[in-house]
Amino acid sequence: MIGVAQIGCYIPEKKLSNLDLLEKFKTDEAFVRDKIGVVQRARKEKDEKASDLCIKAFENLLTKQNIRSEEIECCVVVTQNPDFNIPHTSAIVHGALDLPESCASFDISLGCSGYVYALSVVTAFMQANGMNRGLIFTADPYSDIVDENDKNTALIFGDAATVTLLDADAKLKPLGFDFGTKGSGFKNLISQDKLYMNGRAVFNFTASTIPDSIHKLLDKLKLNKEQVDKWYFHQGSKYIVDTITKRAGLDKEQVIFDMYEYGNTISSSIPLLLSKDILHFQKGQKIALSGFGVGLSWASAILEQS
Amino acid sequence: MSDITIQKILNVITAANIVKDAKALELDKPLSEQGVDSLDFSGLLFSLEETLDILIPDEDVDGLLTINDIAIYIDTNK
Repeated sequence: MIGVAQIGCYIPEKKLSNLDLLEKFKTDEAFVRDKIGVVQRARKEKDEKASDLCIKAFENLLTKQNIRSEEIECCVVVTQNPDFNIPHTSAIVHGALDLPESCASFDISLGCSGYVYALSVVTAFMQANGMNRGLIFTADPYSDIVDENDKNTALIFGDAATVTLLDADAKLKPLGFDFGTKGSGFKNLISQDKLYMNGRAVFNFTASTIPDSIHKLLDKLKLNKEQVDKWYFHQGSKYIVDTITKRAGLDKEQVIFDMYEYGNTISSSIPLLLSKDILHFQKGQKIALSGFGVGLSWASAILEQS
Repeated sequence: MSDITIQKILNVITAANIVKDAKALELDKPLSEQGVDSLDFSGLLFSLEETLDILIPDEDVDGLLTINDIAIYIDTNK
């Protein structure tokens, strides 16, 4: 069965401080630090594309894991800010990494739920096709679409990318998933020219949906929340993670939060957190992931270390 | 507006842990001037909708600055 073996990350060195914007947006440091949870936003160079970020994440993966490109059978990129509308960004990444012609490549167009969706889609795809090694990239450079004068979004989003190595011999494996969509709310988080977010609507969606998704998944797997060792939620903001924690009745010591120094990185937020813990899980430990946002879409998963 | 509605709002503010002491809030002073930031306010509206089984559309929110504003709104629209 396919599992998560290792995760490579790329967070641009360039950072923009929210503390420099306090006066502009008539806010204070406590709000930025304790409510939004973003002190600095990671910012790519203007001419860098999603594929460039993916390639840098892959370079980081190579420092952690010995990988031969000819072993990669599947290359998937999760993004809604692709290099081009045509072709798919995964083809560009495939070419840049000199992956074999036999390697399947496709994109998944999802936002903050994208990583968890991709774990299900790609592990199932690999298993169905007898593949042993694959890559899931996440890269959604929102700096290209955020309006720097929009207080609702300008203080939140950062650029980053990750790449997850899936392997038939990996120990961290999905036990089950829960998915859902409230498509009637799609206009609440949308990019036409620039990004628009109805913060209240997105908050209401998340606060009402994600605790239910978690409990539904636990019930489906005949688990209780005390059997889950760590919770990795999409890092939308500190306020939303705190709200989910409270409404789901979770122990906040077990809920991972860390976006202070780079911001909300969309589909990269969960794998960025996971990358720090991936080698430290003990046999039998279970972790939960939940991504939510654009769509409005959500996906939750529970994984176990075997 | 009714005192019962005011009390319900204060109970929601307390349950949602929006301020340390809901009783200390001034009823006719904007919440934004009493330590309730924009995210807290979204959380308050969500809790009010859930607890009191009401719907507060986005277009009505701009007029809800104080606890009294909210109480009148709830009494008028329940």
